[in-house]
Amino acid sequence: MRQARELDARRAAARGWVAIAAVVAAGVVLSFVVQERYHHRVLTLVFLWAAMGLAWNIISGYAGQISFGHQVFFGIGAYVTVLLVVKAGLSPWIGMIAAVAVAVVAAVLIGIPTFRLAGIYFGLATLAYPLIFRIVMDWLGYQEVAIPMKREQPGWFMQFTEPRSFDLLALAVLAATLALSRLIETSRLGYQLRAIKENEQAAEAMGVDSFRCKMAAYMLSAAPAAVVGAVYIHAILFIVTPEAVFGLLVVSQTLVVALVGGTGTLWGPLIGAALMVPVSEILDTTVGDRLPGIQGVVYGAALMLITLYAPEGLYWRVRQAIRARAARRGVEAARPAVVAPAEDAAAGAPTDKVLLEVRGVSKSFIGLQALSDVSFDVREREILGVIGPNGAGKTTLFNVLNGFLVPERGEVRFLGVAATGFSPSALCRRGLGRTFQVPRTFPHLTVLENVMVGAFVRASAVPVARAMARSALAQVGLSDRADALPTGLTTLDLRLMELARCLATAPRLVLLDEPLAGLSGDGITVMIGVIRSVRALGVTVVIIEHTMQALLRLADRLVVLDQGRRLAEGAPGQVTQDPVVIEAYLGKRWLARMAARRC
Amino acid sequence: MLTITGLGVSYEGLHALTEVSLEVGEGEFVTIVGPNGAGKTTLLKAISGSVTAQAGRILYRGGDLGALRPSDRAALGIAHVPEGRRVFPSLTVRENLELGSYRRAARAGRASSLEEVLALFPILRERHGQLAGSLSGGEQQMLALGRGLMARPDLLLLDEPSQGLGPRIVEQIFETIDRIRRERRLTILLVEQRVVEALELCDRGYVLETGRVVLAGARDALLADARVQRAYLGAGA
Repeated sequence: MRQARELDARRAAARGWVAIAAVVAAGVVLSFVVQERYHHRVLTLVFLWAAMGLAWNIISGYAGQISFGHQVFFGIGAYVTVLLVVKAGLSPWIGMIAAVAVAVVAAVLIGIPTFRLAGIYFGLATLAYPLIFRIVMDWLGYQEVAIPMKREQPGWFMQFTEPRSFDLLALAVLAATLALSRLIETSRLGYQLRAIKENEQAAEAMGVDSFRCKMAAYMLSAAPAAVVGAVYIHAILFIVTPEAVFGLLVVSQTLVVALVGGTGTLWGPLIGAALMVPVSEILDTTVGDRLPGIQGVVYGAALMLITLYAPEGLYWRVRQAIRARAARRGVEAARPAVVAPAEDAAAGAPTDKVLLEVRGVSKSFIGLQALSDVSFDVREREILGVIGPNGAGKTTLFNVLNGFLVPERGEVRFLGVAATGFSPSALCRRGLGRTFQVPRTFPHLTVLENVMVGAFVRASAVPVARAMARSALAQVGLSDRADALPTGLTTLDLRLMELARCLATAPRLVLLDEPLAGLSGDGITVMIGVIRSVRALGVTVVIIEHTMQALLRLADRLVVLDQGRRLAEGAPGQVTQDPVVIEAYLGKRWLARMAARRC
Repeated sequence: MLTITGLGVSYEGLHALTEVSLEVGEGEFVTIVGPNGAGKTTLLKAISGSVTAQAGRILYRGGDLGALRPSDRAALGIAHVPEGRRVFPSLTVRENLELGSYRRAARAGRASSLEEVLALFPILRERHGQLAGSLSGGEQQMLALGRGLMARPDLLLLDEPSQGLGPRIVEQIFETIDRIRRERRLTILLVEQRVVEALELCDRGYVLETGRVVLAGARDALLADARVQRAYLGAGA
């Protein structure tokens, strides 16, 4: 069974390469079929814009960091190669290598400050860099740099007279970018990038170093953009101006190609370019003199239609339609009920060793003391419940423990080493896993792929991670859902998947944020069984809950928080009888009433 | 006046309410208590229409509310004073109140409603030109209550008016609610975590726990029932 699955996975991987080879072959054939010079130009443009869209797709499609300034690398590629020809007489073939190096360095220099910004702010900040380059180029006196004619060595200087040569050169750039995209898609980095795109916090908590991954993606997307810029100048423009290579038209063309075709897949920009570039070129030559700017109108209209009818792009829309049809045809297989693992309360009893120490932790937000001077220990292999009424500071405590927040005072020590001030991904790699109150899934990855993101903390090879993820899924009894997408899962399955993803990081201690919330009675029983089995494997468990009933069945000890303070600690039966705890939950007057009744 | 049968609400797969049935009579004061996460807020939202129920029926004066939008329900006289107050911070106290009488039937009597509300909350008269965002938490809660009353509702839904307030202010708020009820003869459905204070105000109460009604009864019976505590602290208590 497992071997068969591995074979399937390998076949699927091979299919991807075959498809790329087919695209390249089709490109070659087209370049020989096409006769007119103008048609060759359109073909070259399709290949180049597809490659540019793919370059953008690496950082913005896979990693989800929308870059509105990607032409900065395109422009660097163009300027560096042309200036090297003009100033040093260096062949653009060599100049391109230098251009790629400069672009990658620029990516690092831009990325270091800019990745501090998240979401739309990152995108807005990227707008600034091409503007800066335009001004710098003007200031340096490079308002217009023409490529000098090199009649004696046209090939060496990328000055082909035969237009087919440019087709094939652009196709080679496209093929290389497709291959690079394919390698990223199927690698550990690809999974991590998609995890970051879909939920950066969850990815961090699963051990993904988001800054490093985003930086890697940015560097990898800068390189092809620089090559495209270099080739574009030699094939189409012949003269570099700041406006032509750093201008908004470059990035808008890139965005149109990628957004129309679909982002997050290597087929998207390809489809987008194959569709949009010829349409706009044809319109431009047929009615362009009567309706100047028709290109822009068409692009605008295409973007509006796409946003309305296929917001994820054509590729995903078509794929979804095909899948839906296939699903209608196939009969949904009946699913066996999740079998709760045998409950063996004695398995893996807690030891006296302290795994996690919380010492005097305080954290406040504007005007609100969320945690004040909280201290407690977590012992190896125990199930510790953290309870408290609304606003007690439970989730804040977890955020401090796993590194999302840094406390103002106090210290957390994990396995005897300081754990405050480390990123969630670093703590995850040290063996501290967590789940979230509302399951944070990566919705476009299958259940298995979601869990693989966790497994990549320990494994760098995809097959190893896949095997680890399968065993984590088996552990929580979710193997039969491996290929489903999270959107169709029940709450119980989602929580089990999140737990499996956390277990795939091979943690010593897991922080579970309300794993029982929203579950039915049967679901609670299943979850409790799974959590016990996790402990039986030697993993220490800390659980936040406010449904006290279930915790009474599950926890060895309870820590009670109220208004950010530790109110009580001890065995469950003892804690729930504690007047201080009753007061925190039901108020002083209830306590007085009950006391009066008892007398 | 309000009859809920078999109400079920779940969002993003979480079951917030399961098979909830309850009744509120004309002129009655009903309190719902229960721990955090019991589904109290969801219940009020289902009545006022800001969440959609997947199962069950909500009958208001014999008519099914199911298909009606929140604004239609407000027009029928249901006012929801939401959790966390939700005043419009950049509008003045007076503007906040006036927005409360947006309902067509209430618009005509806006001036007299305003006068009545200001009489009920003297502090709002003092602060009527001030921005709502600059009020203290207690004053904002008064404003939210006042805004709810401006609609001249027949059924007032109150979601945790005590949330985040100090004990003295909570006492004041509860006193005001009691006064509103006596003077206006409104039907009130109050949701609270503060068990004793909230139950003392009501005629009847329900205890909600993890989305189900686990206990129902008259005020005094509930106040003497140790099982209320169990909803909060589990079977061990």
